[in-house]
Amino acid sequence: MILISFVLVSVVSLVLIAVTRNHRHMNTVCIMQALIFAALAVYLALTQHVPVFSFLVGSQYFFIDHFGLFEVLIATVIFTCAATYARGYVEGLLESGELEKGSLKLFYAAWTLLLLLIVFAFFSDNFALFWIFAELTTVISAMLIAILAARENIDAAFKYIFIASISMLFAFVGFIFLFEISRVSLGTGTLNWTVLMQYADRFPTGMLIASFVLVFIGFAAKSGIFPFHTWLPEAHAKAPSAVSAILSGVLLNVGIYGIIRMYAIVHQTIAFTTLAPMITVFGLLTVGISAISMLPQKNLKKLVAFSSVENMGIMLVGLAISTPVALFWVLFQIVAHSLTKASMFFSAGILHRQYRNRFSSDAPDDIRDIFRLQPFAAWIIILSGLAIIGMPPFPLFFSEFFIMLQLGAASLWVLGIMLLLLFIASVGLGYFVLTTFTQMSEPDTGSDIEPYLTPASMKVPIIFLIGLLLIIGIFLPSHGMEYLNQIVMELKF
Amino acid sequence: MIDTAIVIGIIRILFVCIIITAAYIISTRNLLSVVSVYALQSLTLVAIAISLFSLEGSIVLLEIALVTFFSKVIIIPYFIATIQEKIRIKRDIEFHYLNPTSSLLLSMVLMLVIYMALSKIVPETPAHNSLFLFGAVLGISLMLMGMMVTFSRKRAITKVLGFLSMENGVLLFGMFVTELPFIIEFLIIIDLIILVILTAVLSVGIDSTLEDYHKRLHQFHLLKDSEEN
Repeated sequence: MILISFVLVSVVSLVLIAVTRNHRHMNTVCIMQALIFAALAVYLALTQHVPVFSFLVGSQYFFIDHFGLFEVLIATVIFTCAATYARGYVEGLLESGELEKGSLKLFYAAWTLLLLLIVFAFFSDNFALFWIFAELTTVISAMLIAILAARENIDAAFKYIFIASISMLFAFVGFIFLFEISRVSLGTGTLNWTVLMQYADRFPTGMLIASFVLVFIGFAAKSGIFPFHTWLPEAHAKAPSAVSAILSGVLLNVGIYGIIRMYAIVHQTIAFTTLAPMITVFGLLTVGISAISMLPQKNLKKLVAFSSVENMGIMLVGLAISTPVALFWVLFQIVAHSLTKASMFFSAGILHRQYRNRFSSDAPDDIRDIFRLQPFAAWIIILSGLAIIGMPPFPLFFSEFFIMLQLGAASLWVLGIMLLLLFIASVGLGYFVLTTFTQMSEPDTGSDIEPYLTPASMKVPIIFLIGLLLIIGIFLPSHGMEYLNQIVMELKF
Repeated sequence: MIDTAIVIGIIRILFVCIIITAAYIISTRNLLSVVSVYALQSLTLVAIAISLFSLEGSIVLLEIALVTFFSKVIIIPYFIATIQEKIRIKRDIEFHYLNPTSSLLLSMVLMLVIYMALSKIVPETPAHNSLFLFGAVLGISLMLMGMMVTFSRKRAITKVLGFLSMENGVLLFGMFVTELPFIIEFLIIIDLIILVILTAVLSVGIDSTLEDYHKRLHQFHLLKDSEEN
């Protein structure tokens, strides 16, 4: 029943969006949809015994386990915040003519559909189903990037679609391999994750490695891992900020989620001893490339996008350590990164409204007098910047600290390289803030810029996210920790 | 029933047809014919699926043949041809990184490498039969050749055709390596159709100038004129 209620809510939202012509109404519908989804997810997490068994759920197609529900919880929180934020932000886009009124319906319809597809992707027990939902999220989110109909947006959307979809075809070939493996070992072929997990120890390692590598190519592209990350900075920088937050906070998780699920199967066999070094190398390269790209970066949204790439690399390295503790903190990093990155993109969006005339998504940012014009956004960028480089008391400190501890236990050399790269990334971020935020215009010329009045709907989600981060970071809620432990157990680490 | 040897012979001939179509898509500069060659390639796939059906008798192959025929031989080529008329581009002469000759040479090398790699992995599975090995090799090669098209062409619409040809490779690979359930094959085609529609509409924007783009979006009834809220 629970899956049907998700579909019903979305269908009702789509109908309401189709009927109305008012932006505020459409936006309210989206907020309501995300809120109801969040309420459903919380209800599942609190009252139901996970894994849930109900109509269609627990069949061979869908399931709700701790990991899937965890990702859905993150997704719904980010979507609720982003929808609230979009209320003021899209209004601004309409006023400045960047978004046409006619595209509004398409925008919100795609938005609604995207949330539904993401939820279904996380609840799919079957890899083929997961694949198709992940693939559809690419297509729909590319639509949200291209909605601004500027040439550079269409370019970015194209790059995203082609790189992600082509790589996802490789993942599909990987799943064909996996299907064949299970057919040979079990008699009947299946792509059902729970079944594969159960019998994983019987699988031949050679084929499993080939299958994992192909699947890894697909989901690495989806989550922006080197060398498939090239679409990410452009797509994230050019999308409307509300969409960037979703791309970075939710859609990247889809890729990492796929990799973790697949790795959990490989981890049951000795194949993981071959694959873990490979993943480590990719993780290190990802962190390295993004850190070096962050140094000379003069565009705030691109900088934040590269920082997402960096975080994906950290998660990958954490996964490659393959200890339960490391996996635990990787999961923790997923939550912390999503929340932090959403708040960063939201504040970058406020600056985008303020400096939009001289703030093309390609050109370096011409940010001046930021503390006079946009003190709120400036402070949030500084705060969440501190959060993203892993300063206490923000939660990323704990996840990065413990992942590094685990890494040190595995190899001191890798730890050394990793720490150096993280330092470079932090320097890149700090340098950007120091140089751009201190730029002042000449006393007699700067007065012609009017401060952009940030609507409350754009501020509230940011404050909420920062508050949530602080609560998680300071109190480390024991229920949440217990929940993450259950995920680690489910993945049989 | 038809003799097995004859069917195997037919499949081998069809393999050659696939290679020819793939080579043509890589090397031609004429945009209009790429679409028809793609349709031909899909038709060859249908023929292979039907021949395999007469060999193995699995009903899934027949279903795949049917769905492929309607989606990839009729609907998608027709749709792309319509789009091509709208953007009025007949030739695609710009190439990134690779020109046609080097791509052809590269794809030959790729086929050899894939053959060597797969013949090492495949003996672990029952599909050690040489026909099935060739099918798998050809599937992956077709996929990589499609990928080369997507990377080396500048026009978005040709990139889409490269992607479609890649997907044909995946289908071929799937047919020869294992018996995928029909539902999976069906899902991939749904994905394909949505992707083609979106990229085709966007390529109207990218392959023409921006001012034209809005006009054309209106033609496609994607943007409705609504002045009030």
